[in-house]
Amino acid sequence: MSIKTNRKIITHEEQCVGCRICQLWCSYQLTKKFIPSMANIKIEDPYGLEPKISFLDTCTKCGQCVNHCLYGALEMIKEGI
Amino acid sequence: MEWNGYTGNNLNVNLTSDKISIIKQNPDDLKQFIGGFGMNCKLGAERIKPEIDPFSPDSFIIVGVGPLVGTITPGASRTAGISKFPATGAIANSCGSMSFGFHLKQAGYDHIIITGKADKPTYLQIIDDQVELIDAKDMWGSDIVETTDFLWKKHGLSGVIAIGQAGENKVRGALTLIDKTSTFGRGGLAAIMGAKNLKAILVQGTKGVSIAHPKEFNDAYKKLFERIRNYPQRQSWHEVGMLRSLPMGLMLTAQGQKKKARQVSDRFYLKKIKKRRIACPSCPMADKDILEIKEGEHCGLIQYTSSAINPFLMFTLKDLNTYDEVIKIFDLANRYGLDSLTITALFELITRLHEQGIITEEMLGLKWKSDYDTLAKVTEMIAYRKGLGEILAGGWKEIGKKFNIEDKMLQVKGLDVIFDPRFMRLGTMEFEQVVNVKGAHVASGGSPTYATSGGSMERFHTHFKRMGIPDPAINRIFKPLKKEMMVNVPRLTRYSEDWYALLTSMGLCARAQMNRFYSMENVTNFYNAVTGFDLSEEDLRISAERSWNLLKILNAKEGFSRKDDKFPLEWFNKLKYGNNKLPLQDFFGTTIITPTIANQLLDDYYDERGWNVENGLPSQEKVKELGLERFL
Repeated sequence: MSIKTNRKIITHEEQCVGCRICQLWCSYQLTKKFIPSMANIKIEDPYGLEPKISFLDTCTKCGQCVNHCLYGALEMIKEGI
Repeated sequence: MEWNGYTGNNLNVNLTSDKISIIKQNPDDLKQFIGGFGMNCKLGAERIKPEIDPFSPDSFIIVGVGPLVGTITPGASRTAGISKFPATGAIANSCGSMSFGFHLKQAGYDHIIITGKADKPTYLQIIDDQVELIDAKDMWGSDIVETTDFLWKKHGLSGVIAIGQAGENKVRGALTLIDKTSTFGRGGLAAIMGAKNLKAILVQGTKGVSIAHPKEFNDAYKKLFERIRNYPQRQSWHEVGMLRSLPMGLMLTAQGQKKKARQVSDRFYLKKIKKRRIACPSCPMADKDILEIKEGEHCGLIQYTSSAINPFLMFTLKDLNTYDEVIKIFDLANRYGLDSLTITALFELITRLHEQGIITEEMLGLKWKSDYDTLAKVTEMIAYRKGLGEILAGGWKEIGKKFNIEDKMLQVKGLDVIFDPRFMRLGTMEFEQVVNVKGAHVASGGSPTYATSGGSMERFHTHFKRMGIPDPAINRIFKPLKKEMMVNVPRLTRYSEDWYALLTSMGLCARAQMNRFYSMENVTNFYNAVTGFDLSEEDLRISAERSWNLLKILNAKEGFSRKDDKFPLEWFNKLKYGNNKLPLQDFFGTTIITPTIANQLLDDYYDERGWNVENGLPSQEKVKELGLERFL
């Protein structure tokens, strides 16, 4: 799967509720299993006061995590437009 | 065999011998009992020794999750725990949420079976295949928040069930918190852990959960996910959480406490108290709270809770005047591992009986006020069993005997009433408190649409079909004791219980805002797609009924019967509520429930269950029909 270089995922960490739906879906696409530790999106301290969201270099920016986030913590923008 | 949804592994932990082993699950058993709540009943039934002391090393705790937990199925994060509970003496399941079940599945286990007693404070650490009992000497004496924070700091992201000082000191009603948020084990699960020297259970895993039929799963998931995404009320659930579900302001206003009502309004909560919202894994309807006190004496206090309603219910204590006092007391109870609802009920009762001169300060051994200072002091006394706390820590049964107030207590089987039907009227949740094996428990009587439908018969019907109630039963539900009562609440309660048993066997959330999206049809679709089994809706309906009956059989062996399914006598007196006096009425307020009618309602419930009406226990025919003879 090629990386979509003109795309960027912006995070709004204060909106993250720690549901891990993004990780579950990402890992399911990659491995056919629900295995959040294999997801390209990482959430540090999901139940803390300030959760942190990051992406591995292997993330293709397919946008599935953005589509599955119901809480407004992830946003896809197209660069250069 | 290849396992999907299930891991196929149950972890067997003997704290006495320090022996840890794996027991393989049997697929035929799973088809009968599904998982989580249901499989807990079966595993418990095989291990229980009748009339065992819950605090003895031979008692067990079984924690289990259903086949949908660990997948992305919306709201599939429920954890169920079965044991013999010390507050009641009943064998019961308790259910909680947050991330414990999710991590347990990721680590590769469906259930943990814990027996024995550790010779020193210990915690159970499960990290994939590495399962160890670790010295917890330094953690003993810590509260739940400190314990959980310590374990998270040490191990990173994980699910944690922890006990506080109340559990360590075997306070009979002590509960645990999962991830310092979700209450788990009302009625004394924490006290059993304390008796076993088990301070906490920590789990984390990286194995993942596979599913059998991805195409069918994707179809079911996408359909449901889009329905949830487009649900018009989703945003407000996200915004104010559980405050949506109970009219706290209305309750307090009706009590004549208008000043307090303002402090539980959505506006006040959003401006002054809400820190942020958190969710269980896979939940699209986040409703858990992180609260923060931003001013005054307790400024900076952070409190996690599975429902902001729980602290706000403490506001019904008449001398607690400000929201920050309420949250501080709630924080104390949570940290110690005391049930805030029980604490509230206890203080309300003592205050009332003190005013009436039935309980004197001499009997209590202290000057009684229901203000913040007294509540804070007595909460600590209970957790540490000091002075009056020693009596109160013994649970409702002991308190009743000690002060000779058994007839005045709002409790059933040793567990305090949560919803008083004189205020809420007698719906399924209220009636469930009388008949549930564990004592006054409301969630398993939940018929959420029914409660909020405003009485539309059409909506009732849709709701009943959704829960998979067979047509002949629906006809019986529409034939109440008296025509004007409209709905036969006891008969409906039976199906609410079965529906709850099914959801919690799957691992699905039973709260109204998630429950409403599930039907017997889509639950069956998810189950078959995930596990690869091929069960029908009827198979699943019967599995839920089977586990509910098995639980009843286990409690019959403990001596429970119809004599214990008692409406609290106090319910037959009017409730003084502000300037009003409220009688016990049916759900539509058409009929006063007298003791005679209450008995007739119980008759209907047992009849709908196919149980013996005389003793309120499963009949021989029902036991045979469900294939439970071997558990008699």
